[in-house]
Amino acid sequence: MSSPDILYVEDDEDFAFIMQHAVQEVKDGLTVKIIDNGKDALEQLKQLTEARVKPKLILLDLNLPGLSGLDLVKRIREIPFLKYTPVVFFSTSDNPKDVKASLEFGANAYLTKPAGYLNLVNCVESLYNFWFTKNLNVN
Amino acid sequence: MSYQVDLTNCDREPIHIPGKIQSHGFLIAVNSKSYNISYISQNIESYTGVNATGLLGKNITELEEQLAIASDTASLQQLLNLAKGSKSSDTINPLAIDVKGSNYNLIISHSANDLVLEFEPTKSDLGYDIQKTIGRSVAEILSGKNLSILLQNAAFEIKKIINYDRVMIYKFNEDGHGEVTAEVKNDDLEPFLGLHYPASDIPKQARELYKINLTRIIADVNSESSAIITYEEGAAPLDLTHSVLRAVSPIHIQYLKNMGVESSFSISLIAHGELWGLIACHNYSPRFIDYKSRDASKLIGQILSSALEYRQDEEDSAKLHELGEAANTIADYIKKDTDFTFALTRNKVTIKDVTTATGAALIYDGEINTIGQTPTEGQIADIVEWLKVNMVDTIYNTYRFPEIFPAAKDYSDVASGILSCSLSRELGEMIIWFKPEQVKSITWAGNPEKPVEETADGLLQLSPRKSFDSWTQIVKNTSEKWKHDEITAVLKVREDVIYAINRKANEIRILNERLQLAYDELDTFSYTISHDLRTPLSSIKNYSELLLASNKSLDEQAKKMLDRIIKGTDKMHMLIKEILHYSRVGRAEIETAPIDMGLLLGEIKREVLSALNPENIEFIIGETPSIQGDSVMITQVFTNLINNAVKYSSKSTPSKVKVEGIVRNSEIVYSVSDNGVGIDVNYYNRVFELFKRMDNALEFEGTGVGLAIVKRIVEKHKARIWFESKLGFGTVFYISFKIS
Repeated sequence: MSSPDILYVEDDEDFAFIMQHAVQEVKDGLTVKIIDNGKDALEQLKQLTEARVKPKLILLDLNLPGLSGLDLVKRIREIPFLKYTPVVFFSTSDNPKDVKASLEFGANAYLTKPAGYLNLVNCVESLYNFWFTKNLNVN
Repeated sequence: MSYQVDLTNCDREPIHIPGKIQSHGFLIAVNSKSYNISYISQNIESYTGVNATGLLGKNITELEEQLAIASDTASLQQLLNLAKGSKSSDTINPLAIDVKGSNYNLIISHSANDLVLEFEPTKSDLGYDIQKTIGRSVAEILSGKNLSILLQNAAFEIKKIINYDRVMIYKFNEDGHGEVTAEVKNDDLEPFLGLHYPASDIPKQARELYKINLTRIIADVNSESSAIITYEEGAAPLDLTHSVLRAVSPIHIQYLKNMGVESSFSISLIAHGELWGLIACHNYSPRFIDYKSRDASKLIGQILSSALEYRQDEEDSAKLHELGEAANTIADYIKKDTDFTFALTRNKVTIKDVTTATGAALIYDGEINTIGQTPTEGQIADIVEWLKVNMVDTIYNTYRFPEIFPAAKDYSDVASGILSCSLSRELGEMIIWFKPEQVKSITWAGNPEKPVEETADGLLQLSPRKSFDSWTQIVKNTSEKWKHDEITAVLKVREDVIYAINRKANEIRILNERLQLAYDELDTFSYTISHDLRTPLSSIKNYSELLLASNKSLDEQAKKMLDRIIKGTDKMHMLIKEILHYSRVGRAEIETAPIDMGLLLGEIKREVLSALNPENIEFIIGETPSIQGDSVMITQVFTNLINNAVKYSSKSTPSKVKVEGIVRNSEIVYSVSDNGVGIDVNYYNRVFELFKRMDNALEFEGTGVGLAIVKRIVEKHKARIWFESKLGFGTVFYISFKIS
C-alpha cells in the first residue's frame, strides 16, 4: 500500500476537481487523493498508518459532512504516527474565530480559498514550495 | 325653654319647638291614648273666655262640654279617632266646627304622643272660595312653553287668586342662596326681580320644614304670639313641626319687619324630592287666608312642582342630547380619521362642542391645538404644568380658576372656568375647555356680608339687616359652572379618544414587530447570499480560468468569451461582498470613542491613492478636528467618500480633492470636495439608495452600494449627510457630527 502525496478532504466536488488540476499544474506527477467526508478520511489515514505510510500534506475543508475539519485534525494529532504531518485548512470562511480554532486544534496553517483558478495555482505553488521543497525534513 | 337666637346661631335655632303659636287661632294638644289635654295655648281664653290652665289635664269630653263644641258630623272624640287612624291628617282636614257659637276650621295633626288640635277662624281675608277658580288658573300656568314663562304665569295666577301685594318665585341655588326668578306685584312696589338673597336668609332647618309643610302663613308680624302651657313641670316642649299655627322665629319676624312686610305666605316648590324654591307672597298689611284657600294654593304649588320637574328635565335632556350628539359625532371622526388632532379640532363639530365652553385646547403629541377663545399657547402650557401636578383624577373642573391659580388672573376673561380631562398622565396629554368670566355682578337684596349693626347704645349687635336696598357685589374670576351633562359628555369623548389612541398604539406595535421580522429575514437573506451564492460563483470562475489555462484548442474568440465570463463573476463577487457589508453595518452595534481624524484621513489617503493610482491629483487635507465615533465605521465612510472623489475626478486635469473639518456652533462639519463629473440634482434623493448609480457614473467602476453604506453609518452616528453638486464642476459631500 502506498500513500498519495496529498490527501485532500473536500466535499465540494467542483473545488476538488479544480484543486486536482491546480496541483498537476504546479507539479506534474504529484498524487492527490480526494475524500469527500471526514469519517472516510480518518479511516483512510488509519489504514495508511497501519501500512506505515503517510501523505506529505493533508488539506482539510472546514465544513465537512460526518466529521468536521476541526474534529478531524484533532483525531489526526491523536495518532502518533501522524503527529508531525502538515495539516492545512482550506476554507471559504475568513472568520478569525475559525482561524484561531483550527490552529489551536493542531493545524499548521489556515488558508482562505482563493477566488479563481489562477489564484489557486499560485496558492498551491507556494504550498508546494514550502512543504515539499524547503521543509522536507518534517516528512 | 330659653334659647337666645341671633344671626350666629339661627341655623341651629330649634324652630319646630318655639313653645308659642301665632295668635290668629288657638291650639290644644291631647294625649293620643287618654285624650287628656297635655298642652294648651294661653290665648284660648281670648277666643272662648275659658281659662287655659283650668283645662290642662282634662279629658276631651269635658273640653267639648265647656267650649260648647259642636260639629255637624261627629263628636270631637270620634273626629280624633278618625284622625288617629289616618296616616295623613290631610285627608280629613279641615273639619268645620262650632266653638261657643263661632265657626272654626279644626286642623288635626300628629306630634309624638299627642294629637294637636288647631282652631282657625273660618273668616278669611279672601272673599271667595278659590277652589272654584283653581282649575282655570292651573290651565293658564301650564300653558307656559318654557320654564321661565311657566314661572311667570304661576306668579301671576297666584297673585290673582290669593291677592297678596307681591308674589315672587324664589329659586334656591346649589349653595343655598336664593334668587327671585319671577315676580308679580302691585305697581307701587319696588321690584325684587333678579335679586339674590344669601343662604342665611332662609336657614337650613327652615328649608327642611318647607319640605314638610308645603304652605306656611304668617298672618301678622305685629301680633303677639301666644305661649303654649303644659301641666307637667319640665316637660318637653310640644313639637310643632306639623302645626299650622307654629310661631315664627323672632329673627324672621324682625327680618320681615325690616323689609316692611306684615304678612307672608309661602308655597313650597319641590323637584326630585328637594326644595327647588318657594312661591313667596308678601303683604304690606296683615292678611289671613283660611285653610281651604291655603290648601288650594298648595295644590297649585304641587302641580307647578311636577310641571317644573318635567320642564327642567326636558330642558336638561335637550341640552344633554345636544352635547351627547357632539360627542357621538366626534367619536365618528376619530374612527374615520387616524389624525387625532384633525379629528378633534378641525372638523365642523369639535371637542369644544361637547360642552358649552367658548374655547378648548388639545394637548397631544407634543403640540397644543386650540379652538375658539383660549389663553395663549404659553399660558396653556403653564396651565398644563399646573394640572400635571394638581389634577388628581382624570377629570378636573373649576369655575373660579384664577382664584386657585393666580397667574390665570391675566386671562380671566377667557379662562375663569376650566375643565380638563387627562388622556395620558405620563405624557401630560390632555384636553382643556375654557369658560369666560361670566357672572360679572350679583345684585343682593342688601349686603349679605354685614349682619352686624350698631345699636343706639353704641354696641355692636347681630340682627337681621335693615337695608334691603340692592347691593351689588362684583364677582370676578368666576365663570358659569360646569354642568353635570358637560362632564358626562367629556367623559364619553375621553373614552373614545383613549380607545382610539390605544388602538393606534397597538397598530404601531404590530408594525414594529413586522418590521423587526423583516429585518431578521433580511439578515438571513444576506447570509444566504454570502455563503450559498459565493460557492457556485467561485466554481464558474474557477472552471472558466481552468478552461482558459488548460485547453489548448480554444481559439481567440472562445478565450474572449471566457474572459467576459470571468469579469462577470468578478463583478458579481464584488456586489455580494458589498451587500454583506451593507447588511453588517445595519446589524453592528457602534462603539464610539474620540477619533484622531488627521491620522485616519492620512491613512485613507494613502490607501486610496495606492489603489486607484491617479495620474495627476492635488489632494489636500485641511483642518481635522477630532470627532466621536466608531473608528472602523468612520473609516468606511471616509474611504467611500474619498474613493468616490478621487474616482469621479480622475478625468479632470489636475483632479482636485479636498477633505476638511470645521467646528461650527455645536457641530463639526466635515466636507469632501472634488472637481469631478458632479451629480445631476434631479437624482438628489436617489444618490443614497442601494444600487443606484447615476448615468454619468456608469463609465466608472462601482456597485452603487458605497453611499448607501455611508448613509447608514452616518445615521447610526446620529449625524447628517448632504451634498452640493454641479454637473461637470464637482461635488461636495458634507457630514455634520453633533458635539456631545
